[in-house]
Amino acid sequence: MNIREWALIAFTILAQMSVGSFIVLGIVHFFAARKAGSEESDRLSDRALLAIGPTLLLGLAASLLHLGNPFNAYLAVSNLGSSWLSWEVLSGVLFAAVGGVFALMQWRKFASFAIRNIIAVVAAAVGLVLVYSMSNVYMLRTQPAWNTVLTPISFYTTTLLLGVLAMGAAFVANYAYVQLKNPGCADVQCVLLRDALRWFAITSIVLLGVELVVVPLQIANVAAGTTYAAQASAELYGQNGLLLGVRLALVFLGAGILGVFIYQNALSAGHEKVMGALAYAAFALVLVSEVLGRFLFYATHARIGL
Amino acid sequence: MRKQLGFHINSSICTGCKACQIACNDKNDLSVGLKWRKVVQYGSGSWLSHPVQPAVYTPNNVYAYTVSFACMHCENPICVEVCPTTAMYKRDDGVVLIDANKCIGCRYCEWACPYGEPQFNETVGKMTKCNFCEDLLAKGENPACVDACVMRAIEFGDLAELRSKLGTVTAVEPLPVANLTKPSVVVTPHKHSQVSGRGTGRILGLVQEA
Repeated sequence: MNIREWALIAFTILAQMSVGSFIVLGIVHFFAARKAGSEESDRLSDRALLAIGPTLLLGLAASLLHLGNPFNAYLAVSNLGSSWLSWEVLSGVLFAAVGGVFALMQWRKFASFAIRNIIAVVAAAVGLVLVYSMSNVYMLRTQPAWNTVLTPISFYTTTLLLGVLAMGAAFVANYAYVQLKNPGCADVQCVLLRDALRWFAITSIVLLGVELVVVPLQIANVAAGTTYAAQASAELYGQNGLLLGVRLALVFLGAGILGVFIYQNALSAGHEKVMGALAYAAFALVLVSEVLGRFLFYATHARIGL
Repeated sequence: MRKQLGFHINSSICTGCKACQIACNDKNDLSVGLKWRKVVQYGSGSWLSHPVQPAVYTPNNVYAYTVSFACMHCENPICVEVCPTTAMYKRDDGVVLIDANKCIGCRYCEWACPYGEPQFNETVGKMTKCNFCEDLLAKGENPACVDACVMRAIEFGDLAELRSKLGTVTAVEPLPVANLTKPSVVVTPHKHSQVSGRGTGRILGLVQEA
């Protein structure tokens, strides 16, 4: 296995997981607050929010290790006029900054709920711009395997899939912690947790469906290509067939089969232990699958020309 | 039209000796693995065994030719377009250069360039590429590859003049199709040259020892 691009695999996966987690968390927090009030909603999601920042910073740090000369990294925002890579760097840093400000305010309960909401929405929007810029970085006219709308579709799918499953695992961990500290509040938290995980399970099954369509289309795209580069990419997919099979099997198991079990266990109270274990397992399996998928993304591209 | 320097590559008389490549390596003191100018061989064909005397073979559409190529100092350089730091830039005379002070070694230009020209120098962690021997040009001399060619198959000059004198072919197999980046080059095709992107042959040799 050629892991030359390990830094980029780490950066893109961690950054996308952070964006997805942030957005998913925002949506859950909104609905949980409507159902049970902002205090219970905060209790559900605040600790999970604090896990996103380090994940993103780890990703950004990994991206620096990709550079031959990281000391000049600040110059990478100099070509917003024509380089998507400049946009990727700018939106990555902005997402970290705005998201970080929001996390701090939310944690310390600075300012009003409405003001914090606005900042969260801005951060989420910047996060979406980050994933869009990231996709466009790869959509070079000399890279037929990447230069397709399937690149942004697969990036956004990974973003949301890792987002829901990471937050599923984080909520379960948070619930265990809340119970440990303060058994009295567990009832409302338990209902909110089961509600969230039901929706996470449904979402991950839908996103699995998207991936199971997008991956074959990516292969068909290069197989149908007329350039030598596209043909070379198709050959590389063939050479990496086993890995591709493992990647698809893992995401099917994690997001699909475990998703169904999570949903079933989340229907009624009393199965939190099993549901929690399943949520951890689903996240782990899908994370491994997505890392393999990203490895394949870098292993199967071929440039037009010499 | 703004000034644009370019190369003329005469593939019809190129012998594939690689003197241009060696001269480039030498003049620019390139470390092992880096090659700003390369010579690629392209061809096809087979040998058919005689039906009665199997040891006798006759050529069947056998052809091969060589093309020397370096940075094309493109009119629409994708490396300049995608470089996030603006380290990659186009000078007034059309030469594409790297400002090493700005380069962060992200290797994005390497993914983009269809000629594989920007190459990563592991030692300094930055990209390098053909600079048209800018120091020699400044002294009124020729680029090293031009002077080294024993067949006089490489010329350089104002692209518009080269085009009016020598034609407008800017790509033959296995060079990428010209509309990707508009290379500043004029190619005199070999008699067997194939149309870029629609060739019947394959690359027979590109990777050479330093």
